[in-house]
Amino acid sequence: MDYTMQIQDTAARLFSEEKIDLFIGYRSTGFDNNQVPVLIHHYQDVEQLVFTDKSVFNLTNYLKYEYTRNKRVGLVVKGCDSRSLNLMLTENQVKRENLFIIGIACEGVMNEQGEKAQNCVECVMPDAVIYDELLGAPTGQREYQVNADINELAEQPLIERGTHFEEIFENCIRCNACRHSCPLCYCNKCCIDQETSTLYQGSNTTSGAFHALMTWSLHLAGRCVDCRNCEKACPSHLPLHLLHKQNEQVIYENFQEHLAGMIKDDRGAFYKYSMSDPDDFIM
Amino acid sequence: MNLTTYITEPAGLQSFYEAIVATNETYAPVEKLGKFDYKQIKTPPECQPDSPIEQTMSIKPLFFPKSARVMKYEATAEGTDVTDTTEDPLAGKRVILGVKHCDARGLQVLDEVYKWDYIDTDYQKRRENTIIISARCEQAATHCFCTSLDYDVEQSDAMDVAVINGLDGKVYIQARTEKGEHFLKENASGLAATNGSALEEMKKQYQAFSGSFRLKMDYKEINGKMQSRFESPAFEEVATNCVSCNTCAFVCPTCHCFKITDERIRDEGVRYKSYDSCNNIYFTLMAGGHNPRPAKYRRWRQRAMHKFVYYKERFGVNLCVGCGKCTISCPVNISIFEVVNQVSNV
Amino acid sequence: MEQLLVPTICTVDQLIEETPDVRTYRLKFKDDSLTDSFKWLPGQFVEFSLLGSGECTFCIASSATRKGYFDCSIKRAGIVTADIHNELDEGDEVGIRGPYGNWFPLEELKGKNLLFIGGGIGLAPLRSLIQYAIDTRNEYKDFTILYGARTSADICYKEEIEEWKNNESLKVILTIDKAEEKWKEHVGVVPKILEEKVNPVVENTKVITCGPPIMIKYTLMSLDKLGFAPKDVVTTLEMKMQCGFGKCGRCNIGSTYVCKDGPVFTYEELQKLPDEF
Repeated sequence: MDYTMQIQDTAARLFSEEKIDLFIGYRSTGFDNNQVPVLIHHYQDVEQLVFTDKSVFNLTNYLKYEYTRNKRVGLVVKGCDSRSLNLMLTENQVKRENLFIIGIACEGVMNEQGEKAQNCVECVMPDAVIYDELLGAPTGQREYQVNADINELAEQPLIERGTHFEEIFENCIRCNACRHSCPLCYCNKCCIDQETSTLYQGSNTTSGAFHALMTWSLHLAGRCVDCRNCEKACPSHLPLHLLHKQNEQVIYENFQEHLAGMIKDDRGAFYKYSMSDPDDFIM
Repeated sequence: MNLTTYITEPAGLQSFYEAIVATNETYAPVEKLGKFDYKQIKTPPECQPDSPIEQTMSIKPLFFPKSARVMKYEATAEGTDVTDTTEDPLAGKRVILGVKHCDARGLQVLDEVYKWDYIDTDYQKRRENTIIISARCEQAATHCFCTSLDYDVEQSDAMDVAVINGLDGKVYIQARTEKGEHFLKENASGLAATNGSALEEMKKQYQAFSGSFRLKMDYKEINGKMQSRFESPAFEEVATNCVSCNTCAFVCPTCHCFKITDERIRDEGVRYKSYDSCNNIYFTLMAGGHNPRPAKYRRWRQRAMHKFVYYKERFGVNLCVGCGKCTISCPVNISIFEVVNQVSNV
Repeated sequence: MEQLLVPTICTVDQLIEETPDVRTYRLKFKDDSLTDSFKWLPGQFVEFSLLGSGECTFCIASSATRKGYFDCSIKRAGIVTADIHNELDEGDEVGIRGPYGNWFPLEELKGKNLLFIGGGIGLAPLRSLIQYAIDTRNEYKDFTILYGARTSADICYKEEIEEWKNNESLKVILTIDKAEEKWKEHVGVVPKILEEKVNPVVENTKVITCGPPIMIKYTLMSLDKLGFAPKDVVTTLEMKMQCGFGKCGRCNIGSTYVCKDGPVFTYEELQKLPDEF
């Protein structure tokens, strides 16, 4: 999977036709085969752009900042990224007419160890679901798979599972990299910040981290698209997907196989009411 | 005082470590979730001091915990009852194995601010009661640049004991401070002391190490140039990629900003002191709503200038030790090395 | 350091409603034996905690020459100050740490004319120095206080200002931003009144000013116009703080720590700082 040339060509064309103010893509850092996001403002810089199976970061994260908000932006989205973009459009965070979207029919990206990333192996929708231009051959929607780690966890007794999570959260340093890397965490004020609310512990204790991360993951329930920006951002390597995938699975099973961001204007499981929703949890 | 160097085979080093673990409260890098963190180890086999440089959290939390309890209080009928329940800083002595050079240097840098004016006694106590044994840095990692920052790895006394892998296959264990000398007298009894010719071997190893750096900068030049770059437009450029999380500061061995927060349940409460970061948008937000650093580039400017100019101006040492932890941990791999180079070259 | 962060308990002795959103809390040490060991000079600040809500930085608004108590004037602004206004009443207990920071250059002020320029809640740190100077009146020459507020209701320390007005050795000039019925004093913003009505003597005068940033900005310009040298203008800075003693890294502007090297700075010193404001 290498669309470097195609993306450079498109970006160059968009700049020369003055259709965009900036282009968000990936550039190579020049070592360890690493790629980082890059915001390009000028025609002459498009040569920096690359796209391979190391283009991991979900670029829609950059649409939430002031300096991109009212600009005409070109960007590259993979399957999962396009779903988060769909949600941002639905939630009125970006305007469709401001965007030129290069969609990728993704073949999966690599993790740090050079293997295909877990979320790519289990991906339900590798093709971009919203785009102006599509690169690659679409393979269509796949069958939903329950996450391997969740399956494993489900077999453990409750107490053991609790200890397991406690051990995980013990390593959290509350840097909030997960939240800041999530394209769907665009709130100006967040309830888990001690500075804006007194509901949550500001301290860095295990229980504080537990409380904050659980709340955060619940705010993303039915919205998370499993791009794993949060997990890749985490300096302590916490398996945050355990929280999100669990939520996703519960919602998939209970709310008519709902998957976040597959269709534009689909507001998500918790934001719409349907007569056929299960009500067996209501007393 | 004379500082002794001991020489041994790699197997001898392992038994040296094992003897320490058996008799001391020992900390060493332990792998957890694919990341190394300095944790207490109880049995010798756990001892794996040669963790990869960048994949290791700093030793800062062992001296400046991520969240420390300041006090407890309780509202009673007679009034408020404040108990100073500061967690015991450190009762006995402890040893930290496998400390990276940059981490050890980071503590020396932190010492400056903690002994300035109001003395942080807890930190001092933890410092005094800890023996730091540095790891064998054989090759610089991708983001390392410690040798560029006014830091003489070869002569450094940031660690009490330095462990050096000679190019001749031998291991040299060298006392660097008086404290280290005493410690080795007690703990390196089975090892042979060595002299001049061995030091030559160590020098060779250091030369090889110094030559392995991908990143190099002229610190004097950068520091001089940065002083006049406060208004530089380059800050805006370097900050665009930043997602405003606090990762860089929390993993940094020298970042020392903290916040004080209260947690109350009915009539009881606890006050904590926890890490904070200048990249946090609320960091300087005042109650009236005024925020001197509302924009990302202003916060990045504070970070870069504090690291490379302000601290040096105030305390005479550079606040960055060139460990590369921030770069490797950053969600978008912003490199402080690149930032200061870019800013000073505009 | 954690011990340094543990506050001492004080009791609210008296609560004075200054304006709709400013209250003055008069505090006494719960343990009376501590009163004498708590020494401060005008310009210093304390860390004031409402236990359970958090800690805030406030300047001490009274002078140590008035013995047995100290005042903190608190404007309702953020989460903690709102809690203080809502919850804290006479007889309640608060935690105090301090005093921290530097103080007004008392030695340099001796034998000089003093011109105080305050705006809104900015009179609080000046009040400490004014009280101090009144109690040691012989040390100073002419004594002028220019104080401005948005409306007559926003004037702090109303009773005390009356006392100052009745004190013949002081000259007090009050102003509000917009004209009101029954208001007999000046109308107009502080810098305008300073230029048009006060006619200060520049020779041998020290100016001490504090107020909202916008007032400070224009007042400094006016003072410049009137011919005051930057080294003769003293102000106190506001910056977010947590520890108060140079460790938490929050208040530094360049290599200057506002909590240790400040909060009192001369205009000359301020000009040398990086432009963070």
